[in-house]
Amino acid sequence: MTSHIAVSLNKLTKNYGTTRGITEVSFDVRHGEVMGFLGPNGAGKTTAIRTLLGLIKATSGNATILGVNALVPNVELRRKIGYLPGIAATYDRFTARGYLNCIARMRKLNLERVIEQYADRLDLELDDHIHDLSKGNRQKVSVIQAFMHSPEVFFLDEPTSGLDPLVQREFEVMLDEARDRGAAVILSSHVLSEIEHLADRIAIIDKGRIVVVDEISSLKAKARRKIELFFDKPVNQRDFLKVPNIKEIEAMDGTLTCVVTGSENELLRRAVELGVNQVRTEESSLEEIFLGLVGAP
Amino acid sequence: MITLYLKTWWDHWRTLFAWSLTLILLVSIQMSIYPSIRENSAALQGFLDSYPEAIRKIFRMQDYTSGPGFLSTELYSMMVPLVLIAVGATWGASATAEEEDEGTADVLLTLPISRTRILLSKMAATMTVVVALSFLAVANILILKNPVEMELDSGKLLAATLSSISIGIFFTGVAFLVGAFSRHKGSAIGAVTGFALIAFLIYSLSALVDDFDPITPYNPMEWGLGGQPLFNGVDTAGNLKLLIGGAVFLVLAIIKFNRKDISTP
Repeated sequence: MTSHIAVSLNKLTKNYGTTRGITEVSFDVRHGEVMGFLGPNGAGKTTAIRTLLGLIKATSGNATILGVNALVPNVELRRKIGYLPGIAATYDRFTARGYLNCIARMRKLNLERVIEQYADRLDLELDDHIHDLSKGNRQKVSVIQAFMHSPEVFFLDEPTSGLDPLVQREFEVMLDEARDRGAAVILSSHVLSEIEHLADRIAIIDKGRIVVVDEISSLKAKARRKIELFFDKPVNQRDFLKVPNIKEIEAMDGTLTCVVTGSENELLRRAVELGVNQVRTEESSLEEIFLGLVGAP
Repeated sequence: MITLYLKTWWDHWRTLFAWSLTLILLVSIQMSIYPSIRENSAALQGFLDSYPEAIRKIFRMQDYTSGPGFLSTELYSMMVPLVLIAVGATWGASATAEEEDEGTADVLLTLPISRTRILLSKMAATMTVVVALSFLAVANILILKNPVEMELDSGKLLAATLSSISIGIFFTGVAFLVGAFSRHKGSAIGAVTGFALIAFLIYSLSALVDDFDPITPYNPMEWGLGGQPLFNGVDTAGNLKLLIGGAVFLVLAIIKFNRKDISTP
């Protein structure tokens, strides 16, 4: 099973002294998996990614990428990594083509055709100078920079910021292709809806610590849901006091409302005993789950 | 490595062009006024002798109307070394600090190139430009030497050039080290040029102010300029101190840069 793991963080800690870094961040990313890395601005996403990439030195803990210690500089490992920084700065005096070719040459690769293919897909004019490009087009240059050498592991820090919806769709296709060929992807965002449909699993970080790592479906199952039960005759909330996983029970005439966290089996069993004839569940959105976990209002 | 070397040139080609032009103009203008200095040497020497001794000492106006004296005072005691320091300081200090300042360091340092190789490429590019600009000045002088009838020992001109290059490399080393510590290009360049100017000021005033005597043996400007290479030929000890000092700073810069937490803008 461990051989399927592409990236592994074990109690990775970066201490900045006065300002907050990250504390004992642990999670794994498998080959062929997109891990959504989610947290409010300043939660530590970028710090975690930059520590993994060796841009900043870890205070303690360890991390491996493709089975190799990621915290020791390793030129060979970097060939297999694609990185799109949160602040995706490029050499502005170059044309998009010049910049991408320059990066490719520093990787000792000739990727002229690949660059053109990606530019076609993302609708980017390669011969424009980067300083003349809009924010969205600059982001396209950075996306190509991260994808062009077909890396085995991607670190994409807020990759879709500034991309228009059409280009975002193409980006998602590129991400699917990477996943299909077994690449591991860490994709950070502070907006859950943005990565909800892209990620297989989600790691949520807040104030430098991992709050939860889970599959999206499982997160939803564990979430608070408001349930309304409709009966033919009036019900009493005392009939439900012993039912597990529910709270905020309110009964009025033939309607009982409550909030369920986790399994709702016992609640439904009791409701059936009392002759329920309609059940309505209000799914809480992932956004609410996220906000619940990071303690935002 | 060659890509990064060429990229460093490409990053600075505008300023390089401007500095080259400045140097050519500076040398050409000075060379073009030399005939009038030479022709009026007797009168001029008398005039210069009437200068307060302090001024003559500060500008080291030794035998001003001769070819070596003129070039030493007008070009090799200040202007040429300062141009080389300016270029070395700008390229050196911005080598890493500018990449961090602009946020481009993140991609560069995750490419399959070690931090040491990245710095070595940029150092090599900076050294090349310091040497190239020095020889641009030499070529300019040698071309104009005969038309302006300047008597000049080419060997001693090369000795002065070697001293200028050594000064340039010393301050390039300082610049790379300051750049490795700094996160901002502007403050790094300011620190290096400030250091160079203070060293130059102390060197100039040391002829007058005895209080500077204890510092003089440690002043890099003294190592480079004090030997008066246009008169005395190669100052091996002075050049070695500068080159070894420069090399030590470059090695320290590499060590520091390898340990550095790279900042984001």
